[in-house]
Amino acid sequence: MSDEYPSLLRSEQMSLVQLFVPTEVAHDTVHELGMLGDVQFKDLNPSVNPFQRSFVGEIRRIDEMARRVRFFTTQIEKETDVVPIRPLYECPPLITVGPRAAQTIDELSHQLTDYESKLVKLNESYQTLSERTRELTEARHVLKETAVFFNKAQGQSSNIRSSFDDSATPLLTSHDDREGGYSEGGNFDLEFVAGTIERSRVPTFERVLWRVLRGNLYMNHTDIAEPFVDPSTGAETRKNVFIIFAHGDVLLAKIRKVAESMGATIFPIDANVDKRADALHQVQDRLEDLQTVLYNTGLSRRSELVKIGENLTVWQDVVKKEKLIYETLNLFNYDVRRKTLIAEAWVPTRDLTKIQSALRHATEESGTSIPPILNELQTSKTPPTFHRTNKFTEGFQAIMDNYGIAAYQEINPGLFAITTFPFLFAVMFGDIGHGALIFFAALYMIIREKKMSKQDNGEIIGQFFYGRYIILLMGLFSMYTGFLYNDVFSKALHIFHSGWKLPEGSGVAENTGHVYPFGLDPGWHGASNELVFKNSYKMKMSIVIGVIHMTFALCLQIPNHLKFKRKSDLYTNFIPQIIFLESLFGYLVLCILYKWSVDWSKSSVPPPELLNMLIGMFLEPGKVDPKKQLYPGQGFVQLVLLSLAGVCVPWLLISKPYLAWREMHKTTQQGYMTLGNGDEPGRHSTDDDALEGEEEGNGRAIVEEAGEGHEEHEFGDVVIHQIIHTIEFCLGCISHTASYLRLWALSLAHAQLSEVLWDMTLKGSLSPKSAGDWIGLAIGGFMWFNCTVGILCLMEGLSAFLHALRLHWVEGNSKHFEGGGHAFTPLTFDTEGDL
Amino acid sequence: MEALFFNIDTGFLEAIVRGYKAGTLSQNQYANLAQCETLEDFRTQLSASDYGNFLANEPLPLSTSTIQDKATQTLVDQFNYLRSNSVQPLTKFLEYITYSYMIDNIILLITGTLHERDTHELLERCHPLGIFESMPALCVATTVEELYQSVLVETPLAPYFRECLSANDLDDLNIEIIRNTVYKAYLEDFYHFCTSLGQPTSDVMQRILAFEADRRTVNITINSFNTELSKEQRAKLFPTIGRLWPDGNNQLAKADDMEQVRAACESVSEYRSFFADSGGARGSGYDELAAASQLEDRFFRMEVFLNKQAFLQQFQYGVFFSYVKLKEQEIRNLTWIAECIAQDAKDRIQDYIPIF
Repeated sequence: MSDEYPSLLRSEQMSLVQLFVPTEVAHDTVHELGMLGDVQFKDLNPSVNPFQRSFVGEIRRIDEMARRVRFFTTQIEKETDVVPIRPLYECPPLITVGPRAAQTIDELSHQLTDYESKLVKLNESYQTLSERTRELTEARHVLKETAVFFNKAQGQSSNIRSSFDDSATPLLTSHDDREGGYSEGGNFDLEFVAGTIERSRVPTFERVLWRVLRGNLYMNHTDIAEPFVDPSTGAETRKNVFIIFAHGDVLLAKIRKVAESMGATIFPIDANVDKRADALHQVQDRLEDLQTVLYNTGLSRRSELVKIGENLTVWQDVVKKEKLIYETLNLFNYDVRRKTLIAEAWVPTRDLTKIQSALRHATEESGTSIPPILNELQTSKTPPTFHRTNKFTEGFQAIMDNYGIAAYQEINPGLFAITTFPFLFAVMFGDIGHGALIFFAALYMIIREKKMSKQDNGEIIGQFFYGRYIILLMGLFSMYTGFLYNDVFSKALHIFHSGWKLPEGSGVAENTGHVYPFGLDPGWHGASNELVFKNSYKMKMSIVIGVIHMTFALCLQIPNHLKFKRKSDLYTNFIPQIIFLESLFGYLVLCILYKWSVDWSKSSVPPPELLNMLIGMFLEPGKVDPKKQLYPGQGFVQLVLLSLAGVCVPWLLISKPYLAWREMHKTTQQGYMTLGNGDEPGRHSTDDDALEGEEEGNGRAIVEEAGEGHEEHEFGDVVIHQIIHTIEFCLGCISHTASYLRLWALSLAHAQLSEVLWDMTLKGSLSPKSAGDWIGLAIGGFMWFNCTVGILCLMEGLSAFLHALRLHWVEGNSKHFEGGGHAFTPLTFDTEGDL
Repeated sequence: MEALFFNIDTGFLEAIVRGYKAGTLSQNQYANLAQCETLEDFRTQLSASDYGNFLANEPLPLSTSTIQDKATQTLVDQFNYLRSNSVQPLTKFLEYITYSYMIDNIILLITGTLHERDTHELLERCHPLGIFESMPALCVATTVEELYQSVLVETPLAPYFRECLSANDLDDLNIEIIRNTVYKAYLEDFYHFCTSLGQPTSDVMQRILAFEADRRTVNITINSFNTELSKEQRAKLFPTIGRLWPDGNNQLAKADDMEQVRAACESVSEYRSFFADSGGARGSGYDELAAASQLEDRFFRMEVFLNKQAFLQQFQYGVFFSYVKLKEQEIRNLTWIAECIAQDAKDRIQDYIPIF
């Protein structure tokens, strides 16, 4: 089997292998397998806590390194001038395998520690320096502002007093003014407190002070224009300068205490003008000195960061890989006596040789002579589902995987989605122009594939880029259906001669005798009965396509039943289902095709309504009004078909539970496990539970428990499941067929919308005569193009996409898809993600 | 009718808070945490829980207080998220939750100032949920009157303090009296507020608050044995709500020893078991301190139980209160376990109170 060419039809055959890895080569082996990305390791010690595992020490060390690298990243990000970070592919790789691996990691760890301590030291000194600078700046502001204030007070007081001795006196007057002549002319000195406080706290501060001092204060404050930036967090704080005048040591002490507890900084300011000027000078000088030192510290810090930036991506990469490696090693069973690690892993059977050679390569790399031993195990556990995709099939497979992971080795609907998906999309989106637009958009992305896959495209563009091949096919198919509908931006193409011509003066077209060879005759375009014709045509076409799609999906059951050796399911499930579907809706499709093939203009009876025919088939079985008869003997045929369908319902309902019941009785003494069809849905679900339990780390015990527990319920499960299945299928057939009418509805909506858009924007200004007309044409054309891309291609496209998705997930998959598998998640270093 | 319109304003937040609650640590996770050898193990273990990488960027070695601070910070962040998304009357309700923390902070600051501790150190120790902007100014005040006039008058707590303005000096006993008087006023106010919200919020919250009141009553009684607090004063501190009120409260006001406390609580069947074995043990020289701590433990267990029950009822605000309380208990548990690990006291590590 394994030499077969890999196909998407079924998921890859998997083997459970056991690896015996000597501890010396364990790291390199996992590294090599991680590079290969083809091995899914199982957790062999699920009962062990994360911190009790063998390699927790290493992981902790790596975590510490990761923390340092993160620290560097945040530091670099915070730097206002951009620090260049060298991309990974330009850096020399850091080799972490082979005999020198441990040393490399040690060195790296040391290096990181060094850088960290250096950076922390620089940060600290930068911090203290900027803290001092901030304080000095605040002091300067306080000095300046108080000076302004004092000067103002001086000016005011000069109106009142002719002379004064010191600068404090005028304040006294202003104070006295407010206090209503209290202790006028007294010779006590009014004291004050000055400082800075955060702006948001000013009102509270003022209020609290007012209450604490019972109003015995005079407070003044002004804003400092520029914000103070905290160098470590980059947060901005805005501050105010305040000056508070009060009387008495007790009050002043209180003010100071309140100010301090509210987070204000208080500066000793002298009341004397000269002293203040001196202080200002001093502060200025010191500030200048500090700023030079600060600048130099900033420079050396930056150069350090630049050095770090050169290697940052390599470190990130190495740290990420190492962490993944040790986490994987923690899944292994550690045999202390034999100094080997025992691992169990799922691998694709086809790749066994590749893995063998990878193991050998790892041994060579690490420079030891003991190779890891690979041993294939026999197992009854359900292997993971692995569909080998390439860049083309990846998107289509993802569409199906989003619905559910297929069961192991079941027919993969993703393969068929490659054609059915773009086709159903195109039926709804059929327009040569719009199809071409999205085709070329996809083509552009595919041509620039290499460049675009490297850069970060953002979420939305990234989504489109991921689905570029889907879009390409969707565009291509839309052009094809566009030709069939003869629709290009809502206009018709006249490639061949039309089969109709409209004689002058007459409202009725005449047949010219020849048939338009491909697609819709352009003669229909603009005809008064265009919509009637197109609706009838597209509606019927939707039903035909839908029934074909459902029949196909139903037939996909056959290979599944054969593969899983459930022959009885063919008779109990598949055959009644297909008879039911075909006798009702297959017959309808045949009638549609037959009705199309008859030239009703030459017939003696008017064309019968197919919808009424279908309703009549149920309501009056066996009777057909001869006037509405499609073909002779119709009543009898319909009666037979209806009774066939009627028989299928109990057949579907009873046969499978009956078989199960008979088997149960036949094999009571052998136990229930020998039901023969071991993969029945009922049984299957318990398997899934077990697997889930296993993934959650409950170990193997669960599998056996579940195995014992489910037998009593098996028969009941089969009955209930079959009842649900029967109801679902029979009702589903009807509703699903109706559901395909969305093909018609969406296609109609698309065509109408594009026609409306054309009429509203371009139609009127197509024959420009004056300059104004040309401008109108330009504006109209611009609007038309934008709306075409935005509304018709993007929005309508998305809507058609969603409907195509639904038709596949619900209408298609419900006919055969079993699902419930678990995806193959190999160890790989490629995954995106943070440390 | 509440059920009909509840979700318009509060559906989102209730969903959020129930989601938060789903993240509380389970018995299993506690068992794993208790097996940790070092605090780094502890961190690794916690990173698998809802706390996630909240400690990932902390440099080694870790300290218990860092763990506690960070865990509290997560709770505070969650609470602030809830508060900023809430509308009345939920906003008011959430504010009521913060009042108890504000009372604690005020008492902490006053006590700290009384013992001349550094203000900034005190401010750092305040619970972040109970911080209000004029709080730092508390340390200036020296009398209750001044305290009230300068700071508290503008806080929502002002009405609660009005009762205790008569106390003049700030000493340890008075502060304790103030705390209990204020808390009593707070509990009663909150109780009435919850009643005004109508069912089912009132049902759930009354149960929880009644228990809280009873717990305080019992605690005050036990703590006032052999102190200078007179019995009349003691009676004044008891909240006038709860299941012990009024009969039990009267008995408790007169109680002189544990035996009488037990007799007073006998009337409520749930509380009977709290005192089940303390009586017998006391005969063999069992010290009262251990009995009290055991009682405390049982109270905590009861509180957790009641708060868990709040989640059984939908369309009510009790879940918000209960979530904060449960999370607080969880942080206490984490701190306890971390402390035991740090001090290598493995034998007592199991003394946490499991939540789920």
